[in-house]
Amino acid sequence: MVLGRFRNDMRMVGEVMVLTRDCIVCIFTRPFYLGRLFEQIINLGVGSLSITVVIGVVTGLVMTLQFGYGLAKFGGTLYVPAIVSLSLVRELAPIFTSLLIAGRIGSGISAEIGAMNVTQQIDAIRALGTNPLRVLVVPRVLAAVLSLPLLTTLSAFMGIIGGLAIASWELNMPPGFYVNKVLYTIKLHDVFGAMIKTAFFGFVIAILACYRGFQTSEGTQGVGTAAKWVVVRTSIVILISDFFLSKLLILIFD
Amino acid sequence: MAKILELKNIHKSFDDKAVHRGITFSLEAGETVGLLGPSGSGKSVLLRSLIGLEQIDAGEILFHQSRIDTLKEVQLYPIRTKISYAFQTGALFDSVSVFENVAYPLFEHTRLSEPEIELRVREILRIVNMEDAFHLMPSDLSGGMQKRVGLARSMVLNPEVLLYDEPTAGLDPTNVEMVIEVIDRFKKKGISGIFVTHDIPAAKRICDRILILREGKIAFTGTVHEFESSPDPFIKSFLTNQ
Repeated sequence: MVLGRFRNDMRMVGEVMVLTRDCIVCIFTRPFYLGRLFEQIINLGVGSLSITVVIGVVTGLVMTLQFGYGLAKFGGTLYVPAIVSLSLVRELAPIFTSLLIAGRIGSGISAEIGAMNVTQQIDAIRALGTNPLRVLVVPRVLAAVLSLPLLTTLSAFMGIIGGLAIASWELNMPPGFYVNKVLYTIKLHDVFGAMIKTAFFGFVIAILACYRGFQTSEGTQGVGTAAKWVVVRTSIVILISDFFLSKLLILIFD
Repeated sequence: MAKILELKNIHKSFDDKAVHRGITFSLEAGETVGLLGPSGSGKSVLLRSLIGLEQIDAGEILFHQSRIDTLKEVQLYPIRTKISYAFQTGALFDSVSVFENVAYPLFEHTRLSEPEIELRVREILRIVNMEDAFHLMPSDLSGGMQKRVGLARSMVLNPEVLLYDEPTAGLDPTNVEMVIEVIDRFKKKGISGIFVTHDIPAAKRICDRILILREGKIAFTGTVHEFESSPDPFIKSFLTNQ
């Protein structure tokens, strides 16, 4: 039983690799579906703006509050802007935003493609002489890869603004001091590293969601199972790969 | 008449279950063949195999004397503009309108301008009596209407062969009549067809020839008259039970 499950998992990994390879080939070869790409950017990216702002602001508020009172015991309140902004830009905004997007768009993509699969719409795309990979997968993957870094940057920015508000009101820190400390601490490569990381997370979310959507075959129940599978698997992949990507980026930039 | 599509000794299995065990038949230009058989006899699988939606295990499929069963998915795309498939449920794209559904193959495979595409879509929707549904979404349509829009979409590129997968299944008599009329119009335009159905009266009206699929093989082939007067006990019981 364990061997069978391992074999299934390995087969799945192989199929995801093949899908990834085919998707990359389609990204760089004609025909391109720019209209569908913009549609997906609006759907996946613009549609996630409000929740991204909320999660960014709240993280900034809570982080500043906790570090403000925690570090005050050791006389380290002055370090709050640096700690909050650096952790937001490098880790918290990328991870929180990616996990949130995995839940929001990952499940959405797998449910949408899964529903298309069980209602033979994907067969129809093939039967009409077109490639479902180009029509469905590439626009979603590119939209996720382009949108997630921008959403993460916005989330980190909103987190820093939230931190500024709490630092001023609760910790009585002058806003100018807070801003100066943030600008002094955050380097361009921090933002750039976060964008690289989240572009990778975006790719993982979209490709796994599309893969599972294509595998859906058990009717409406299968669509629900697929959505759940995507959220769990993408979250695990994001959390594990975050460690290795962070290590790699530190080696490159620091 | 010239053979447009040929199947030679087709074998297909799902795991250990053999669905097709040596199917051989051909379709001639302008001819409509009815493919009948008990449920689960592999009629739809055979239809899907013809355009590569299912891979056959052995045998040959020839379109205009050229093998197509060995082609890769990408190489099959141009073939699928000539052999079109009308799905049982219509398989309309539910997130776009009727116009966008029918126009999809035209946007993909032709260089027509948008006004020309609109004109062509209106023309084809008129043939299937669905011109009023131009701006509607698939969810606004009944099952019969969805099937007719699906037929319009599969017809819009003027294919040489149309594969009908149970187009009258689950419809009320009025809608059945409408769908049969549409298929008859396509037939009069000279389009060849393979008509998978359980609806024997419809098959008798539309088809030039009847094939019966049984236990993975062609159990009968002949004209409608030969089908009706066949002394074969299986055909007799099939005619009675359907």
